[in-house]
Amino acid sequence: MPEYQIVVCGSVVPDPLQTLEPVAGATGPGLKNEMMLPAWLDPWAGHALYEAASLAAKNPGSKVWLVALGPKAKLQQAMMTLAQKVPFELIALDGTAGGFTEAAETAAVLADAIQAIPGLDPSRLLVFGGWESASRGAGATMQLVGERLGITDQFQGVDEIRTEPDGSLRILERIEGGSHQVSVCDAPPAVLGWATGNLPEPRNNPQVGMANMRMIMPALQKAKPSPVGAEGVTFVSVSLPKQSRDTKIVKDLPPEQIAAEIVDWITNK
Amino acid sequence: MDADIVCVGFGPASGGFLTTLSRAILNPDGSTALESPSVPGLPLQVMCYERADDLGFGVSGVVTRARGLKESIPDLESAGIPMATPVTSEKILYLLDPVGASRRPFLMRMADGVLRTVGGLFGVKDDAMELPWTPDFLEKHGGMVLSMGQFNQWIGQQVMGSGAAQIWPGSPVEKVVIEDNAVAGVQLVDQGVTRDGKPADGFMPGMEVRAGLTVVADGPTGPIGQQLDKAFGIPEGHHTHDWALGMKFVVDLPESCTLEPGTVLHTLGFPEPEIFGFFYVHPDRVASMGIFVPSWFDSPARTAYRYLQHWMQHPAIWKHIQGGRLRSWGAKTLQESGRRGEPRLVGNGFARIGEGSGSTNVLTNSGVDEAWTTGVLLAEGVVELLKQKKLFTSENLEAAYVARRRESWVEKEGRIAERARDGFQRGIIPGMVGMMLSGLTKGWLAAPGKPMPPHRRVPHLENYYEGRIPAHEVRKIVKESDAKGIASHAALMERAGWPKIPFDGELLVSHQDALLIGGKVQAPAGYADHVEFLYPSDCAACGTKICVEMCSGQAIYPGEDGLPAFDREKCVHCGACLWNCARENPKDPESGLIAFRAGAGGLHSAEN
Amino acid sequence: MDTLLFLAPTGADHALSKNALEALAATKQLAEKLGAEFCIGLWGESPNADALANCGAAKFFTVNGADFAQPRYATDACAAEALCKASGATLILGASSPRWNRISAGVAHRLGGRSDSHVTGLSADNGVPAIARWYYRQRMEAVLTRTQRPWVLAIESGIAPAWEGAPGTATVEAVPCIPPAARTKVTGIESPTADQQTIRPDADLLFVTGAGWTKKQPDGQVKTPEGETLILDFLRLSRASLGSTKSLVDLHGEGQATLTFLTHMNQVGQTGSTPRHAKGLSTCCHGEEPHTVGWRFVGERRAISLDANCGWARGKADVLYVADAFAVMAQVNALLKDAQ
Repeated sequence: MPEYQIVVCGSVVPDPLQTLEPVAGATGPGLKNEMMLPAWLDPWAGHALYEAASLAAKNPGSKVWLVALGPKAKLQQAMMTLAQKVPFELIALDGTAGGFTEAAETAAVLADAIQAIPGLDPSRLLVFGGWESASRGAGATMQLVGERLGITDQFQGVDEIRTEPDGSLRILERIEGGSHQVSVCDAPPAVLGWATGNLPEPRNNPQVGMANMRMIMPALQKAKPSPVGAEGVTFVSVSLPKQSRDTKIVKDLPPEQIAAEIVDWITNK
Repeated sequence: MDADIVCVGFGPASGGFLTTLSRAILNPDGSTALESPSVPGLPLQVMCYERADDLGFGVSGVVTRARGLKESIPDLESAGIPMATPVTSEKILYLLDPVGASRRPFLMRMADGVLRTVGGLFGVKDDAMELPWTPDFLEKHGGMVLSMGQFNQWIGQQVMGSGAAQIWPGSPVEKVVIEDNAVAGVQLVDQGVTRDGKPADGFMPGMEVRAGLTVVADGPTGPIGQQLDKAFGIPEGHHTHDWALGMKFVVDLPESCTLEPGTVLHTLGFPEPEIFGFFYVHPDRVASMGIFVPSWFDSPARTAYRYLQHWMQHPAIWKHIQGGRLRSWGAKTLQESGRRGEPRLVGNGFARIGEGSGSTNVLTNSGVDEAWTTGVLLAEGVVELLKQKKLFTSENLEAAYVARRRESWVEKEGRIAERARDGFQRGIIPGMVGMMLSGLTKGWLAAPGKPMPPHRRVPHLENYYEGRIPAHEVRKIVKESDAKGIASHAALMERAGWPKIPFDGELLVSHQDALLIGGKVQAPAGYADHVEFLYPSDCAACGTKICVEMCSGQAIYPGEDGLPAFDREKCVHCGACLWNCARENPKDPESGLIAFRAGAGGLHSAEN
Repeated sequence: MDTLLFLAPTGADHALSKNALEALAATKQLAEKLGAEFCIGLWGESPNADALANCGAAKFFTVNGADFAQPRYATDACAAEALCKASGATLILGASSPRWNRISAGVAHRLGGRSDSHVTGLSADNGVPAIARWYYRQRMEAVLTRTQRPWVLAIESGIAPAWEGAPGTATVEAVPCIPPAARTKVTGIESPTADQQTIRPDADLLFVTGAGWTKKQPDGQVKTPEGETLILDFLRLSRASLGSTKSLVDLHGEGQATLTFLTHMNQVGQTGSTPRHAKGLSTCCHGEEPHTVGWRFVGERRAISLDANCGWARGKADVLYVADAFAVMAQVNALLKDAQ
């Protein structure tokens, strides 16, 4: 049975339920009240982590790392929830997790951190992450991490991975029209940018939390300052879309009439 | 799982406790100063379990003298805590009724008439009069305006960063483990269950966490506090009959607003005489504002949200906020019995701190600083016992914690405040007189009044609206509202003369929009409902359903067969349903028919 | 001055997708604005540029070979890298697609450049190209320029009308490219079955279900099975694409009544997709901001909600019908059935 080394790249994003507003800062755009917004693990990176834990659990001897670049205080905040979910070892990098930084700069920092993991064996290595973040949303970081690590078997929008009896990896990637492209990769190393996957969010397990926390707090304490920015980029403008429409509110109309209007609208090209 | 100390709930009391304790666990060089009795060789193992999805969610914004806080954190003012600022000015406004629907007693109406006639002499402006002075006992000068959400997050980071304690959010505690008349720890809630608690996919029974000391800091409506009261009783003569719901908005103030950060406004008189208001200005054009709706406001159709909207539109408030925008929202139950609501503070294996331990001062309207200080006092006692290698027995905790507490300013001021609000039992004017008497005579004098459990006070709707809405019309309105599955207070209030709310999508938004835009309410899957109607047949027979009217999130609504129903996805865990019940529990004359238990989810906002 | 390259993979039929033709038109427009020329690079088993011969490209480059037929990272990135190098272009544009998005950032890295994806606007000011793209899951739009070159872009659909022109004979320069050893093989496509309801980009209408379908209705009853029937009938009759709010998809984990045919693939919005349909009809959904970000690119929007003060009323829909969606959709289905 393969013993994988699964490195998950994932950072914090503002709780998606919050109202977000851009503000101009000294070093470029940012979010209004950025440090006050609750921080969560990026949703697709979260799916990647849960899938990693599930794969590791199915293949005893496997291990999961989480490499996270973000403000130390926010990482700590997110870890208190995340650490209860699945076992992993944290590698914390203290820097910004904002969306307006460059994927290339973030990827460089992440790749360096991955390469510094002692005992990393490319023949066992799977690099996981979200296919896009909920902040930058470029879908670029994982590719760049892969390139920097010399991994050219890369998959994006992954919803499933399965180890075949011969040790190859059967991977499902999202493509157009709700379909999945099925690929078989001979063996690690590979880079997988995850979409939703198929696993529910794991329950909060205090024992998992306790076990993780022994490693997480020291990792946070020694988090390496890792400044990233957007060198070479000039933001001409950052704005909230003006999508306000002049809404016609139709009240007190019987369902039959509303239905007729709707049918007329949808059938009228 | 074993720990040395398990703490239930993370609010200001456990903030004070963990801050003080964590500083004593490790030496400055990181070596162990307090060793774990349960795991020799390791530092003291301290766990804190918080119900909400993150630290600082679903708490409140305050103005505080911050005496205890500053003693623990001397650089509090310069610590860079978001939304924190020193108090710069403090005013009390008496609000006249600009809409004519407020139910004012005769004397008040007379006074209003005089003020309207010769208002200029008294400085009446915008239908409000600024009181010439703020009584000493209310003053917060030298104190701080804080967002408790931001403060708790900051404190949590400091405690966690020390590595001496772990604070786990998203971890409701289901029950206290009692063995041989001693508390042996707690059990977390089951996960992977249906809404009625039956095991479902991914069932994971709640883990037991055993500890030598269980610190109960789960607030005024916390399940563990309730269970301890049931198991061990509360001291003779004590009660928790007085409550209030605080509901607030956090608002981005308009550019035109000239209020300085640190400005504090208290209001009284409107929307109803029993409802008090507050307005605290944070830095960066942000304000926390809201109202308190007390249990002695004897309206069976009382509602905080609707009244808050009328309060905001009062000209004296609206002029500051018009053009601003709702940013966050929240609600919380306050224990208003103060020191007379003090439960058994300690027992074998447990100690209680914070609001649920009766620390709130009902005369100075202050709770956070007091709660924090009780946590500090307990931590000091705990450190003493650990150093002496003594067990956390009732006796030892009495000597190490309760004795400290009795000597503290929290206790001394709490005693002065003890009878301060009794007058409100008989009405707003005796209440105000009583407050002043108590405050000015340091508790020697007070207006008399006998606090009663809310369910014994609440009149029938028909009686409450007598003279304003004919009884048959009240019944019709309620019937129509029930059929629509909504509370009836909006229709009743409008029939009684309150104007409709002119929704603007910015400050005046529908109740559900407030849940969605401002507070962001979540209900994670796999947890049981934490609100239960214990005696459905009694609920069906109840014509009042104050639980529906007062529900902060519209989570309780008229359901089938005349029964109230509960929608966990709207619950902000304010705890109002615990005391907003018009019927007596057949097994406990002190409580109503609704169980409010440990539950997951709630508000997602740390700006409150 | 920048030089432009439009890149596209080609399949067995040599035809470019509508999205690709839109991106080609956008490339051509940008080149005109910059006063620059543009080239075209195609790769695949046997790419043929004749269909694009008259598009105005200065040169055509191709990478050929059976190895390049499969949509996989290693060979696609290798081909794209070779084409970029051969063209010497500084601005490289491709239509957003799973295949191009899988490699565009990696290709930029190999060329020593940078990439941007989800590009929704291209402009030029004094010879300086600028792009518009979204951040924070379509909640903020930025216009930016960058100094790094080559600059590799993935262009979203709808940016320009698809290029149309007569085919001709293109003079093609075949670029040598040695494929890396293939460790990955694409073995097929798993498609949703015909009766499976999902987001189908080709549909004119997006039908979005909100959490209200599983909640108590005005008469106090939960009518999820009726709701399911109404929705499925409507989808069958209208051939609409089916989207859902996150909360409704999440309900699956809660052991309560759900719409059984919904999966995460239907999720529209913050953590789901942002489909582009000409029309969108939201039902039983409150229209709150994080849940409606997925609607950014839907053309005409209508909503049915019981709450006259809901988010849709505040400029998020063109028409809000304050009504019971169960009643309305039953009538809609009846009318659609009659029409058939």
